[in-house]
Amino acid sequence: MTETTVTPERPLVVEETETKPGFVGQNVPRKEDKRLVQGQGVFFDDVKRHGMGYVHFVRSPYGHAKIRSIDVARALEVGGVYGTLTGDEVAILTDPFFELSTPPGAHIKDYALAVGKVRHVGEPVAAVVASSRELARDASELVEVEYEPLPALVDGEAALAEGAPILHEEAGSNVVWSGLFDWGDFEAARAEADHVVKIERLHFDRFSSTPLECSGCLVEYNRGTGQWTMYCNHQMPGVGAIWMAPALRVGIDKLRFVTQDIGGAFGNKICLHPQFVACCLLARKLNRPIQWTEWRTDQHTANAHGNERTFLDVEVPVKADGTMLGFSVRAVDDCGAFPRYEPLGCIIWAQVTPGCYRWRNIRVDFTQVVTNKSPVSPNRGYSRMQHLWLTERIVDIVARELGLDPVEVRKRNYVRTEEMPYETPNGCIYDSGNYARCLDIALELIDYDQLEERRRDAEARGKLLGFGIGSTLDSGTNNFGQSTLLNPELQFSGNNEVATVKLDIFGEIVVTLGTVPQGQGHETTAAQVVADILGCTPDDVNVRPGHDTYWNSHAGLSGTYASQFAVTGLGAVKGATEKLAAEMRKLASLVLGCSEDDIELAEGQARMKANPEAALPFMALGAILNANNAGLPTDLDITLNARYMYRPPFELPDKERKYGNLTLTYATQIHACLIEVDPETGGYEIVDYAAVDDCGKRIHPQIVEGQVHGATAQALGAATHEIFAYDEDGNLLTPNFYDYHVPHALDMPPIKNGYIESESPFTPLGAKGMGEGGGAGIHAVCAALQDALGKTVTRSCNPYHRVWELLRSEDRGVTVQAR
Amino acid sequence: MLLREVEYARPSSVDDALRLLGEHDGARALAGGQTLVNVMKARAASPDILVDLNGLDELKGIELGPDGTLEIGAMTTYTEIVESAEARARPILGEVCAQIADVQVRNRGTIGGNVCSNDPTNHLPPLLVAFGAAMTIRGSGGERSVPAEEFFLGVYMTAAGPGELLTKLTIPAGKGDGFASLPIGRDGTCIVNVAASLDGGAPRVVVGCVDAVPVLVRPESAEDDAVRGAVRAAGLQPPDDVHAPAEYRRHLAEVLAVRAVRAAKERAS
Amino acid sequence: MTPETARTIAVDVNGVSYEREVEARKLLIHFLRDDLDLTGSHVGCDTGNCGACSVLVDGVLLKSCMLLAVQADGTSIRTVEGLGSDGELDALQQAFADHHALQCGYCTPGMLMSASWLLERNPRPSEEEIRRAIQGNICRCTGYVNIVRAVQAASGQEVSE
Repeated sequence: MTETTVTPERPLVVEETETKPGFVGQNVPRKEDKRLVQGQGVFFDDVKRHGMGYVHFVRSPYGHAKIRSIDVARALEVGGVYGTLTGDEVAILTDPFFELSTPPGAHIKDYALAVGKVRHVGEPVAAVVASSRELARDASELVEVEYEPLPALVDGEAALAEGAPILHEEAGSNVVWSGLFDWGDFEAARAEADHVVKIERLHFDRFSSTPLECSGCLVEYNRGTGQWTMYCNHQMPGVGAIWMAPALRVGIDKLRFVTQDIGGAFGNKICLHPQFVACCLLARKLNRPIQWTEWRTDQHTANAHGNERTFLDVEVPVKADGTMLGFSVRAVDDCGAFPRYEPLGCIIWAQVTPGCYRWRNIRVDFTQVVTNKSPVSPNRGYSRMQHLWLTERIVDIVARELGLDPVEVRKRNYVRTEEMPYETPNGCIYDSGNYARCLDIALELIDYDQLEERRRDAEARGKLLGFGIGSTLDSGTNNFGQSTLLNPELQFSGNNEVATVKLDIFGEIVVTLGTVPQGQGHETTAAQVVADILGCTPDDVNVRPGHDTYWNSHAGLSGTYASQFAVTGLGAVKGATEKLAAEMRKLASLVLGCSEDDIELAEGQARMKANPEAALPFMALGAILNANNAGLPTDLDITLNARYMYRPPFELPDKERKYGNLTLTYATQIHACLIEVDPETGGYEIVDYAAVDDCGKRIHPQIVEGQVHGATAQALGAATHEIFAYDEDGNLLTPNFYDYHVPHALDMPPIKNGYIESESPFTPLGAKGMGEGGGAGIHAVCAALQDALGKTVTRSCNPYHRVWELLRSEDRGVTVQAR
Repeated sequence: MLLREVEYARPSSVDDALRLLGEHDGARALAGGQTLVNVMKARAASPDILVDLNGLDELKGIELGPDGTLEIGAMTTYTEIVESAEARARPILGEVCAQIADVQVRNRGTIGGNVCSNDPTNHLPPLLVAFGAAMTIRGSGGERSVPAEEFFLGVYMTAAGPGELLTKLTIPAGKGDGFASLPIGRDGTCIVNVAASLDGGAPRVVVGCVDAVPVLVRPESAEDDAVRGAVRAAGLQPPDDVHAPAEYRRHLAEVLAVRAVRAAKERAS
Repeated sequence: MTPETARTIAVDVNGVSYEREVEARKLLIHFLRDDLDLTGSHVGCDTGNCGACSVLVDGVLLKSCMLLAVQADGTSIRTVEGLGSDGELDALQQAFADHHALQCGYCTPGMLMSASWLLERNPRPSEEEIRRAIQGNICRCTGYVNIVRAVQAASGQEVSE
């Protein structure tokens, strides 16, 4: 290790690939930390502008209602109120946001403010702008809205029933999209099976990662140029602009997104375009900067929930020896009041169709519906987590019904490492992995051989011990061609990310990223990659913090989402740096009078391999081209400012068969947990936890471990107390951190970590994206509860009352048909 | 998250505080603020005037009498109780205070605020009723003492009425105490809590989180069956909410009552 | 003694004296961030649960979203900007950086204030004591694992696995 690395404690098990010399693979100090630990980060709410007006949104108190009238007159009379905006204005000034889905979802009209009707509690209806936050809040109470309440729909299955209230009249149905996915031959599998296990209903509960920083923006409008600048925390500005520009009837270049530090996003800061458009309209209308910060309550009620999905009529053909041949399921996905990004969730689970398993015959009948709940957004684990939970529930329920050991049944059915790269039934390629090895390590870490002893010990104390495994995958680097499986008219495919690397006049190396980091350490890992290629140290590399769409080069799909930075972002950085390196060698070779192959970049210099004394420091190279270039050959075509677009190798999928590779990399998470249940109360505690992860080459091991810890905490929260529950009128019962209990420091069990590195053969650095995890903790806790209680667990979130109900109820909903 | 306009006063004597509270209908005492400020942020209630009690040293302090009686000023914080050598005369008090939320809340939140807000999920009302504590209330008419079991009248309503202040709590000597709860997460909001005390003859078992006020039951003995029976006979009608259906709270009340009494028996011996 | 809707307050923050007129209804966190431009302390919730606003007022660790600015009149306040000196990190801040105890950094100022308060009173806390001290600080990124390790390291103790 060099002096620029830190050596904190190591996890208990690490099986690394061969360590090459260099900064990649080391724990270099994070560049982001110095400013953040001093409170000098710049989060959007820290930014101030003279004369800015603060926005407070008037929001619907009803889950479903017509808007009869809105009167802002009294609010406008208050001194210090600058102006207002209502849905009527929005409907005139903007066009509805474009919809991803085919009909019926295609006909939904989605605007920046409610137009004519409200469809979820918390939906913004009007905006009031004033000279202080308090005044805006006060004045908003004077806006008079007359509603005509309608029956609210708060259940996905009910949305499909005859006579259900229709949320979007223009669509004529509550269905956003539906489709049948059918691979292999399920009927033949059913015929071949020795048993068919049928599970009536499983339900993945609604929750979200609830980042600590809420969403928001400070918008400035330049009247002369018609350009908006938004200081904000949008995590995927490319897509934000694609929605906003046509709505505002302007070109994309009129929208500038500026972010620096973002307080977590986890997919919750992708669909901010409705509120941002409202703020843009206000900035233009009122000719002053407009500041909006979302309240915690608004984030919970009206921003971004994770997918809520019901799985019905699951059928699993199984051989007597425990080989599972496939499964069939009918899925109903509840995307809340407006689909927005969500129709992609109807497809994206297909990246991990078989989960970790080798079954070949899979049939999924998928329907997405709207309900009077908060809209859903790609929350961490997006759509794959829900599907992977299904596969894990299937494996554990089948094992229980047929008396099979959950470890053995997994090893029998896991995709094997020698089969990698492995083509799934729908043509996705699992790049690499060793699930059985990961499971073995997890079992070792959790002292699996002492399980029965621990069970007896728990019993002696009046507790029920449960053991559970959660195997899951984090698929990363999407092929946006998957969107054509949703809607053949969509013009998205492949993926991209962009970076620029330049050598400045004084020899500074400056990098800009197309990504929008929210704590993942992009400044640091990018510098590691650059340093290794240019032969300098990460301290010599200056990565511009944050993302500015006017400064940072980017492409249509740029952003930080979907577990891909290590592949796409760093792939772009690598490509740009290699271009720059080639130019530097070329220039040096001209100056030093040798061939380019004679030049190496090392120790901050370009020098002759044969004679290291003949060297040009980077500063000299930068100065020559930028300021002192007389005499250089006229045909020398270099700029020392390289832009590179990384494009993963994807094809368009086959729309007919819904077949093709949808993601480039598949990171593995195999977790195990031990739970003790108090059978008298239903209360339970996670007493031991092992997490084994494999994301290929780890660029910065500490950062990878941090992501694993965070994903585990979020999964444990989602498994225990975090649920967005609604009453029958559409009121969210957990609208703040008081009622929506997330894990605090004392709630966390000890976590034992293990890592292996199965490098990806498909990526520039052998790394895989891994930030989301796949919700392994949820799957493991459900499995452990099932083991402890001896009852089938059918919900993803199991608060104490649900455990108590399981304890005292008959186990039903699962049947086994023998041949 | 933003309060309505409010007037603020910081009296330097209890008499001044009482005068302010008595003179203005919309005046409200501000103790630790760990409940009231949140209520005002949500605009669920917006007093016209806040009378800040934090400057009133008269209302602070813990005294241990020679007979083992504890006198605790209403403005004593949870942290002060946890760290007080005197309060250890009745150890369960500090132990329960230490379970409330987190350090920041405990540093500001007060025992007086806890009981006067009487949020049904609070820890201290059931405990004080189990102790048989006495609450001293001062108003324009003078001072009076109300037993804890008569102090709690409804959600956010106590015997300390408009123009009055709870000034101190008097806790008799004792040590046969137990407290059992099921919180949402460690030190989180209680789903159900039960305080039990075996001093002074018959057991006192007090169930919280199941009604607007703590529910006192008096089982015939400290045996498990008697305790369960007494709780069942109380015919509790707890609310249904996102954390627990009514039936679950009823069940928890019985289980936790038994546990609280068992814990009390252990301490008493 | 007349109640007032606004008053002038004098506070010392990180060693600097300020005198400002504030509305009675203004929360201390908003006074620090908006009036004094000390944006290191953050707002993460609206019910006093997340602790991102934690500061020290006369040495007492509290959540500044549950204190009115007028209540802080005459007090000495310490925020994250007052840790370390002259741009140099203190031992705790350095330990956070060394042990990757922060990812997005939003909860970090509050965490640092809670951890500072702990170490001032308990120089060698156990793991349970560390967790209790930061129980009022929510983090959604780190799972608290490395935060605990950083505090152990800053207190010169062995770091847990």
